[in-house]
Amino acid sequence: MIGFAALALLAGVLVSLSRQVNGRLALSTSAWESSFWNHIVGLGFVTLAAVLFGGLFAGAPMEAPWWAYLGGPVGVVFIAAGSWLIARIGAAQTALLIIAGQMISGVVLDVLMGTAGNTWARIIGIVLILAGMWVSRSAKD
Amino acid sequence: MSDSRPIPSLLYFAAAFGAGGLLSLMVLFNGTLAIYGSLLFASWVPHLTGTLLAIAILLVLRPRRASTFRPPLWAYLGGIAGGVTVMLTSATMNTALALSGTIALGLAGQVLFSLFADMRGLFGLPQRMPKPRDYLALALIIAGSLVLIFLGGAP
Repeated sequence: MIGFAALALLAGVLVSLSRQVNGRLALSTSAWESSFWNHIVGLGFVTLAAVLFGGLFAGAPMEAPWWAYLGGPVGVVFIAAGSWLIARIGAAQTALLIIAGQMISGVVLDVLMGTAGNTWARIIGIVLILAGMWVSRSAKD
Repeated sequence: MSDSRPIPSLLYFAAAFGAGGLLSLMVLFNGTLAIYGSLLFASWVPHLTGTLLAIAILLVLRPRRASTFRPPLWAYLGGIAGGVTVMLTSATMNTALALSGTIALGLAGQVLFSLFADMRGLFGLPQRMPKPRDYLALALIIAGSLVLIFLGGAP
């Protein structure tokens, strides 16, 4: 259990590490080029894993709705944005604002798709996040 | 190298918040793909289509390189850390941690390592020291996230 918790924590560290390394590449090249390298190197890595472990086409992937295939194009913009931002507002600020946007849009998506949830927890959570963003934006130090 | 930084302009602020929205869409799209196909497939397809779109964007926009100096070789390897992340999270999601625990610990790892990296100026990025205001913002955003992750689901 502790081992799995450490792995989940490590996954978060790697998200941040990846954004910093991509951001460093964007400093010398451009945000779009860093997104390109992130994807093609990642593609090579996942392909290697697929060759080693097999089962890439297991299940019935062709039965997925067409929009489930749009994650890649969205990711290109996402990685480019992260690479562009991290050199300008820092790793922590970038991470926090992305987390805030992810959490709030996650609730919006859940509500739009009619996913059941605790309304009060959703309201309190969103208010806390908005308050944090407001503090982060306020001019006073 | 400066520990006093300007308040991020509204553009940066909106871009980062919007990127978080894109991340939600990615999780929804890739997660739906993983319901029908394998976890590897749900990571392989977005990397493949993403590479193709990135090539198209580079051909059309032809962004200029910011520097004539070559970046260090390791700067090209960010995609590997991303690939490992997918494998780690798919592994821990199916343990007692579940999705909520995986996300919460992932947020913690991300924020702690980002703070550390900022203070040290790791990987050739500008060094910056967080201010008390930044810690308050951090505490509020993480508290709100934990409320959503652990209490926001169906009762």
